[in-house]
Amino acid sequence: MATVTEKERGAQTHPDVRKYAEVNTDILQMLSRPGKWWWILLGMSIAGIGLLAFSWGNQIINGIGLSGLNSPVGWGAYITTFVFWVGIAHSGTLISAILFLFRARWRQSIYRAAEAMTVFAVMTAGLFPLIHLGRVWHAYWLFPYPNQRLLWPNFRSPLVWDVFAVSTYFTVSSLFFLLGLIPDIAAARDQTKKGTLRNRFYHLLSFGWRGTDRQWHHFAKAYLLLAALATPLVLSVHSVVSWDFAMAIVPGWHATIFAPYFVAGAIFSGVAMVITLMVPIRKVFGLEKYLTIRHFDAMAKLCLVTGLIVFYAYLTEFFMAWYSGEDPERRVFWNRLFGHYWWATWIMLTCNGLIPILLWFKRVRHSIPALFVITIFINIGMWFERYVIIVTSLSHEYMPFAWAVYRPSFTEMGIVIGTFGWFAFWFLLFIRLLPPVAISEIKEVLPPPMRPKPRSKEEVSS
Amino acid sequence: MHDIHVPSDVQARYLNPSRITTFVLLAMFGAGALAFLVLLASDADRAWQAYVANWLFFTGIAQGAVILCAATVITKAKWNWSVRRVSLAFGAFLPVAYLLMLPMLRLRESYFPWIEKMEYDPIVQLKEAYLNIPFLISRSLIGTAILFTLTLIFMYWMLRPDLGAERAADEEGHSGRASWRERLSGNWLGQEAEEQRAWQKLKVLAPALALVYAVVMSMLAIDWAMSLEPHWFSMLFPGWFFMTAFWGGIAATVVAMVLLKRKSAYFNEHMGPQQKHDLGKLTFAFSIFWAYLFFSQYIVIWYGKLPWEQEWIIHRSGAEWGPLALTAIILCFIVPFAGLIGRKPKLNPTWLGSIAAIALLGVWLERWLLIAPSLHEAGTPTITLWEPLIGLGFLGIFALTIRWFLATFPTIQIWQPPQEPEMLDREVAPREAGAGV
Repeated sequence: MATVTEKERGAQTHPDVRKYAEVNTDILQMLSRPGKWWWILLGMSIAGIGLLAFSWGNQIINGIGLSGLNSPVGWGAYITTFVFWVGIAHSGTLISAILFLFRARWRQSIYRAAEAMTVFAVMTAGLFPLIHLGRVWHAYWLFPYPNQRLLWPNFRSPLVWDVFAVSTYFTVSSLFFLLGLIPDIAAARDQTKKGTLRNRFYHLLSFGWRGTDRQWHHFAKAYLLLAALATPLVLSVHSVVSWDFAMAIVPGWHATIFAPYFVAGAIFSGVAMVITLMVPIRKVFGLEKYLTIRHFDAMAKLCLVTGLIVFYAYLTEFFMAWYSGEDPERRVFWNRLFGHYWWATWIMLTCNGLIPILLWFKRVRHSIPALFVITIFINIGMWFERYVIIVTSLSHEYMPFAWAVYRPSFTEMGIVIGTFGWFAFWFLLFIRLLPPVAISEIKEVLPPPMRPKPRSKEEVSS
Repeated sequence: MHDIHVPSDVQARYLNPSRITTFVLLAMFGAGALAFLVLLASDADRAWQAYVANWLFFTGIAQGAVILCAATVITKAKWNWSVRRVSLAFGAFLPVAYLLMLPMLRLRESYFPWIEKMEYDPIVQLKEAYLNIPFLISRSLIGTAILFTLTLIFMYWMLRPDLGAERAADEEGHSGRASWRERLSGNWLGQEAEEQRAWQKLKVLAPALALVYAVVMSMLAIDWAMSLEPHWFSMLFPGWFFMTAFWGGIAATVVAMVLLKRKSAYFNEHMGPQQKHDLGKLTFAFSIFWAYLFFSQYIVIWYGKLPWEQEWIIHRSGAEWGPLALTAIILCFIVPFAGLIGRKPKLNPTWLGSIAAIALLGVWLERWLLIAPSLHEAGTPTITLWEPLIGLGFLGIFALTIRWFLATFPTIQIWQPPQEPEMLDREVAPREAGAGV
């Protein structure tokens, strides 16, 4: 079967995968009967959803006063976590769309899981505007629709832009996700028994895929088109989220660098989250052949680059705050470093600025346990980044009499923790129901099966 | 997903400079220098503004093109194998740029309004630790020295494996400028060892260069453009400045590639559809990125409506500067966007080259707009023939240095980065021994 030499094989993306059939078997076995650990994790995630439902229900019944939100800090842990999850959602589209356009082959093994993560992270982020509303039954007021008194949402409000940006992103990333799945679901469909529930589910989602030449042709066209459409979205969504802050003239928020800085931060945290999730998946399902060290190395480098952009933005922020000569601006940044929330700022700087320095070393990039630990720190750091931006600025605006300290309440913490359960729940279902690694695309980078060719002169001499 | 084909038997070829072009470029340089001197006598302030704007433009794209080369080293790109040296060649302007910067360091009150304001303006006084002449001069001298030196070291290692004697001569017997080749290839270790060593160095140098680029270019942006309105500050401004320079480097590579393609069949063959298409895509994408950064900065200022922030935008809009600012946006964004969308226009070299040249014109105008409106006196003209004329002088010496480089060293990089040793590591031992063949 194999037509390549051992040396050539070493240069390939998946040196240890030898046959096309192997890919199907290895990936589809992930969809078979789950083990004990999966059930334990699912139980934990359902408990998380319970916590979310309880805390949120309690807040709906008794009012938003249960949160720590008050004047002047009207945005606290909720918006922090909203931005955190929107950020996490970025790597999926980056890996599937931008890396696709850049012809980065290492994306093949990870993009499916990253896309799924994107969709679920947007679903998680989408909860927060609702949670934050207080009177959640009025949520539909955010959408522009003709009503009896011709009242429209204020289109100049970045919060309305957010509704559009996030819902567009959700639509496109789900479409992208489902489209890429079609050939693989068809492979899964063909492996299941006819008439079972699973088979029907796959039947529905594979849209009659038979793998004909014509279907592949259309598939490739649609994929390229969606990739090109999704690329600007990677930039636009988090830019709009950043403008929720930057449009306001709150010191520490009103910064022109926010849009690219947030986008870089989003990709930074998103890639870190992909690594965090991929390490256990690789271990549990024995996917060492598909997720090689090389894939982790490449993701770590992506983390490093975006992390450097974020760190550049931190330094620019501090320098410009000083350079501005504006008293409130200077004080806010001084307050960040040495004020009431100094610990949050230093956690942010340590996790996002100092710890990623380790990624410069190849030995660290090639150590899966080290990457796992580092990316967890990055995730923590990126949550605190948003916390620092939101809370320190609001608690310390222009008027000293209006300064106050904000502490998240138990309800808020319950909701924040609960959303991790909500996210994990969907992700756990995903790895058991849909092929979590792209079967057809891995085959694209494997050497095609061909009849063994007779030894040529060159090969003999080498 | 297709493999990029890199032919294994690329011959060394050198740009064959024609006397007429040399004469034209020298004449351009002379005309520019003369224009500068004449304007210096009549309106010194304006002459210096034009000088600094042109310096920022040409230094920026020279440095940006080398960064494009470094970026493709970092990402181990193969597609640009035949135009990598062309991007690298722009670095040849940097030693000249350093010399051209020296007279700029003698500028005082006429160029930096903050010197005068330091005496009475309390906000400017708060910035004194940064805005003072000794620090300005020393950071300009040291910062650019570090950046340019690092660039030259990077260029040296990019070049060195191609300087071995056995590969130097081309079919017609040209061998570049032998003295330079000998000077730069001392202690030759043999082709393979040289390539390995160069690659080891480049892997470290390229990321370091990218970092230093971001820092030093940010500093230049703050010092020579942003500080001209001492109350104004924008956190995105330095980033916007160096990303525009990077994009300028891409567009400049495109223009150079198109000119080389016309020069000989050899260049035309190797700089083929792959290179045209990919460079076209990058020109297109970074034009959108330019617009994104511009808009990100604009909308925050527009929405915030703070007097000290608006000032900068107001100085660049309105009856006097508005049309020019609009022209810059059209040249930097609308034209490349509309002109390069789709596959076909990127593959037509004349079209691609013209669009890239228009984009460069836009960047040039943008650089002028970063400086002149801040120092403008009402009633004087916004742009005259003098500024492009001085630009022509810069273009002359800029093109001369690059042409010298391409005529001295092989125009197409012959050596290619080796297959990564780490790529050959195997994690899982092969189960079936001998299954390879």
